[in-house]
Amino acid sequence: MDMSTVEHAMLTPSATSAPASGTKVTARACNVYYGEKHALKDVSVDIPERSITAFIGPSGCGKSTFLRCINRMNDTIASCRVTGKIEIDGQDIYDPALDVVQLRARVGMVFQKPNPFPKSIYENVAYGPRIHGIAKSKSDLDEVVISSLEKAGLLKEVKDRLNDSGTGLSGGQQQRLCIARAIAVSPEVILMDEPCSALDPIATAKVEELMDELKANYTIIIVTHSMQQAARVSQRTAFFHLGNLVEVGDTRQIFTNPKEQRTQDYITGRFG
Amino acid sequence: MTDISMDIARPEPKFRLDLTSDAARARIRSRYRAETRFKAYGIAALTVTALFLAVLMFDILRNGLPAFWQHSLLLDVPVAADIVDPAGKREAGAIKGADYFPLMRNALNAAIPGIESRSASKQLTRVLSVGAPDRLRDMLVADPSLIGKTIKVPLLLSDDADLYYKGAGTGIDDRAGRGTATPSGRTGEITVLTSSNDFAEELQNIKLRLKSVADTISRDAGRIERSGPDQAQRVASMRAEVANLANRYQQPGNAEALDSKVPSVLVAINGGLVKATRLDASGITGDVLLPLKSAEEAKPGTWKVVHYSTPESDRKVTDQEVAFLERLREAGAVDRHFNWRFFTTGDSREPELAGIRGALTGTALTLLVTLLLCLPIGVMAAVYLEEFAPKNRWTDVVEVNINNLAAVPSIVFGLLGLAVFLNFFGLPRSAPLVGGLVLALLVLPTIIIAARAALKAVPPSIKEAALGVGASHQQAVFHHVLPLAMPGIMTGTIIGMAHALGETAPLLMIGMVAFIVDVPTAFTDAATVLPVQIYLWSDLPEPAFQSKTAAAIVVLLAFLFLMNGAAIWLRKKFERRW
Amino acid sequence: MSGIYFTTMAVLVLAGFYLSSRRAVGVSREASAGSLHSLPVYHGLYTAALVFVPMLLVFAVGAPLLDRIANSAALAAFPSSLATDELHRGATLRDVYNLAANQYSGAPSLELQNAAETLKSTLSLGRWTIFGLGVALGLAGFALGFTSIDKQFRARNRFERFVLIVLFACATVAILTTVGIVFSVLYETIRFFFDPSLKGRPTVTDFLFGTEWNPQAALRADQGDIKTAFGFVPLLTGTLLITLIAILVAGPLGLFSAIYLSEYATPRIRAFAKPILEILAGIPTVVLGFFAALTVAPIIRGWGHHVGLDIASESALAAGVVMGMMIIPFISSLSDDVINAVPQSLRDGAYALGATKSETIRNVILPAALPGIVSAFMLAISRAIGETMIVVMAAGLAANLTFNPLDAVTTITVQIKTILVGDQEFDSAKTLAAFALGFVLFFVTLVLNVIALAIVRRYREQYD
Repeated sequence: MDMSTVEHAMLTPSATSAPASGTKVTARACNVYYGEKHALKDVSVDIPERSITAFIGPSGCGKSTFLRCINRMNDTIASCRVTGKIEIDGQDIYDPALDVVQLRARVGMVFQKPNPFPKSIYENVAYGPRIHGIAKSKSDLDEVVISSLEKAGLLKEVKDRLNDSGTGLSGGQQQRLCIARAIAVSPEVILMDEPCSALDPIATAKVEELMDELKANYTIIIVTHSMQQAARVSQRTAFFHLGNLVEVGDTRQIFTNPKEQRTQDYITGRFG
Repeated sequence: MTDISMDIARPEPKFRLDLTSDAARARIRSRYRAETRFKAYGIAALTVTALFLAVLMFDILRNGLPAFWQHSLLLDVPVAADIVDPAGKREAGAIKGADYFPLMRNALNAAIPGIESRSASKQLTRVLSVGAPDRLRDMLVADPSLIGKTIKVPLLLSDDADLYYKGAGTGIDDRAGRGTATPSGRTGEITVLTSSNDFAEELQNIKLRLKSVADTISRDAGRIERSGPDQAQRVASMRAEVANLANRYQQPGNAEALDSKVPSVLVAINGGLVKATRLDASGITGDVLLPLKSAEEAKPGTWKVVHYSTPESDRKVTDQEVAFLERLREAGAVDRHFNWRFFTTGDSREPELAGIRGALTGTALTLLVTLLLCLPIGVMAAVYLEEFAPKNRWTDVVEVNINNLAAVPSIVFGLLGLAVFLNFFGLPRSAPLVGGLVLALLVLPTIIIAARAALKAVPPSIKEAALGVGASHQQAVFHHVLPLAMPGIMTGTIIGMAHALGETAPLLMIGMVAFIVDVPTAFTDAATVLPVQIYLWSDLPEPAFQSKTAAAIVVLLAFLFLMNGAAIWLRKKFERRW
Repeated sequence: MSGIYFTTMAVLVLAGFYLSSRRAVGVSREASAGSLHSLPVYHGLYTAALVFVPMLLVFAVGAPLLDRIANSAALAAFPSSLATDELHRGATLRDVYNLAANQYSGAPSLELQNAAETLKSTLSLGRWTIFGLGVALGLAGFALGFTSIDKQFRARNRFERFVLIVLFACATVAILTTVGIVFSVLYETIRFFFDPSLKGRPTVTDFLFGTEWNPQAALRADQGDIKTAFGFVPLLTGTLLITLIAILVAGPLGLFSAIYLSEYATPRIRAFAKPILEILAGIPTVVLGFFAALTVAPIIRGWGHHVGLDIASESALAAGVVMGMMIIPFISSLSDDVINAVPQSLRDGAYALGATKSETIRNVILPAALPGIVSAFMLAISRAIGETMIVVMAAGLAANLTFNPLDAVTTITVQIKTILVGDQEFDSAKTLAAFALGFVLFFVTLVLNVIALAIVRRYREQYD
């Protein structure tokens, strides 16, 4: 990734008038290699706007790998190579002229393990708006932080201690802080990589509730280990196995009437 | 989901991610500029560091490499029996004790005949080292039958003469004379007159120089005057000096005296050399440095005007010596050879005789003591701490203590050595034994830490396997764990020893700074070590010692690179991924 | 003497080992029930240890003791006034030893001859005593080991206990070193301040707050016009000035090198740059001192001359810059470690928000690594304060109280070296002053190290 190139193709944010059923992310013949290892094989999928899409499958099936392709987080791994095409709103995100920093501003990400910066709660949320120049003044910034924390359902719990360290929160709170951090930039897509795997059931419920609220404004893609979670929160589900995308469809259809035998086997617990 | 609920859920956000406006583009450009700048700082930091290392190495090599070569005069020395062995008994003792200087002087006088003045012949012998006869003496002791014959022997040059041949003297250029030159004599102080104005250029140069000197003094006087009125007298005398100089340079025809602060002007004529002490456009007055063959007049083009571009006061060799050395070079008597002596002798007050053999032997003895002490103690301490120590407060204290000891300034270990080993136990000063003890304590923490890391890297399954077949804990450790950790321990030990090899400060405290000529032979002999020798030489004023210092540094660094290279090789060879 | 002793010891040890193992083999073949508890080799080792330890102890205690006894016996031949005059006493003792070894040149006095005789007889008696005692104890150990060989005898356990004690003793050497350092500097320091018989000693307040440092005058009584002064302040300011310059040089260079190497550099650049830093770290300080004095100082002076500044030839700047170069690898490798210890998840978090690499480093990684970097700087400062050779060769001796980096200043280590190198009497205030300085040095660096290592440890635990 060449950070020193100053002139980059600017991404055009999606037209707000786009239909709710429009396709946000399109992948065509996407392959990922880690050195010699072929981690993702020929994946093609369309992800609809303003809904939750879940990626499920056994460990090492490539679902996280694919997720990390969508905001090019794989760029940070030296040995990783991506071929094929991924488009957001029709624009190829692997176009060499595209600025990855701007891409990531539009495609936020929440990680498996909560990773708040070792700074205050306020600074954690304010960081993104600040680097992207979203708020023009201190009062604007305050407003962004407050509204993001509110959207993330965390405001009530932390409003009296915004200057305390973000690392001092509980695990569930930390994860919601990371979600607040991600939405403070007002991205169009939010990628969630097993966001609840490190959380207890109560915290998990809160995060799931939050996702349900957020889907009205954001396109959310979630990688999850838990089929129950996928069934609970998502509208569409994609099943990955051994680097292949086996099947993708409406969540209800996948869980009740899968077309592929492998999907059936996985859902009924024969493997995985 | 209905359209109405959508609209309620999705009010237009007040703060939007803006990536397309001009302001946004400008912001992104400035962010990337900051990125480039930040990366450039990193590159600059590394470059500066690398550059520093390069300059350091270059400087050391540039200074040090010439010292590995040395110049001698290959002269025919008539070995007169009445000087070397007046008793005629051909005894080794008598031959050894003879005074060889008359022989040297005779050989030199034969090479450059006709030197009469005392000062000139003194300067001629000064080109030889006081150690010049060593080689001849050895030859004669080995083969007394050479006495009475004339033999060709390399005679060691003095440090200044040696440096001269290494290029530390002066630039020399010459041009043919245009007129006919007439010398007034063959030796002593003579005049040389020419028929054309051969020296006009030199005269003009001197006048220009006078002007620049005058300008400098005038500037200084102005500065002093401005700084306050209290130095009025000094300013007045400076002004007078300026006026005096102005008087001289404003009259272009006047003869000028030459002093040692200006480049020397000489005339090579009739096989001799005259140094000008006073010149005008058409002639010089000067001293004969090399006698002329005749006082006849010389035709245009057969004589030369010679310049020594470095003023005499800025170099270590006089014009007279330069004349001798150049004459000897022309005669083909100068021999350049590798400076073996540097590695075979001890220290000396004469730079050309000084060597590092004593320091190297001292280093070897000291490091031997260090190795013999700190390797077993360090390994055993590491084995105890890693394998047998109970996990309690005491072990914690030992651990913290070792980590801190590794960061105690080395000079403090010197104080320990002085107070405990010298004053309390009464061990001898300057001895490799004490130096080795102090260095052992100094590198012990390093070795313990490295050995513990190596032991920790051996997987516990190995030990468990040994215990599983009924070995005792100690058998498991000494038969299985320790041998597997040995490459790592050796690597750490070599690095520790390299550290000890470069250490100077603590050894100064225990008196290893004495001037010691003899090569030490025992652990309790007075000795010095290579880094201390470097320190001692670096303090001496002779330029030749500066070169020796750099050469000794080259040797020290060579050893260090060798040791570190060995450590890297060992690590690569035995690196094992469990 | 020691040659004979150690040869005998070696013979006895080997004999003990060999004979005992042989006997153990023999015992194992005896018809009685059961087999040998320990391998024969352990019986041998056990006996060898029983011979070795007492013999070594006898020599280690006996030899220095004998020296003292012999010296005082020899000196008893001289008038008692000699005992108080240390310098004269040493010279006399040397004469006695030379005479005893038949290396005395000139005609010895009667006293000297008597003393030499006494010395010779004491030494010979003493040596034989040590030898006899050692051999007797060695043989006793041998007998004990040899006779205890038996099928039931647990030689391995006994020997392993012995090994454990040896291992433990080795581990305590490090502790003993610390104790030795503390005692040697503390003892002399206390004498420096509180020994009533010491002429010219300062009070603690004079030392800590005095602004003049001039230990030389204490050397001779007739140099009355020079006032002795042990004011520590100019040394402190000099040390701090040079350290400050060094940190100003090494801090940014080391830190940025570490950042570049850990975050930006490709493996190929790392493979090239790391050895440069390692080589720099391995260059002995005496070499850097030579470089500072001979190359850097004249260059800086030349530049100063160029712009009309008068720079001392032993300016703090030259020493400080080169010392900074010395600690660059130190700061960079420690910072590299702590930066690498920052978890990747924090970097991912920042990248996922659309932060550039430098924003991630400045806003996330460096704040997270701050404690570690602070401790790296503290260790570097401690290193700079304790560094000796660079300042000895490139900084001055004059104790100027100044913060001008173009002036010559002196440091604690330079003064210790200057006072202690050359002739010294252990009872002068000047010599003891060096130990007081050593104490200050040890104390300051120890505090810095302890704090820094504690911070590092806590930092590591945070991200483990």
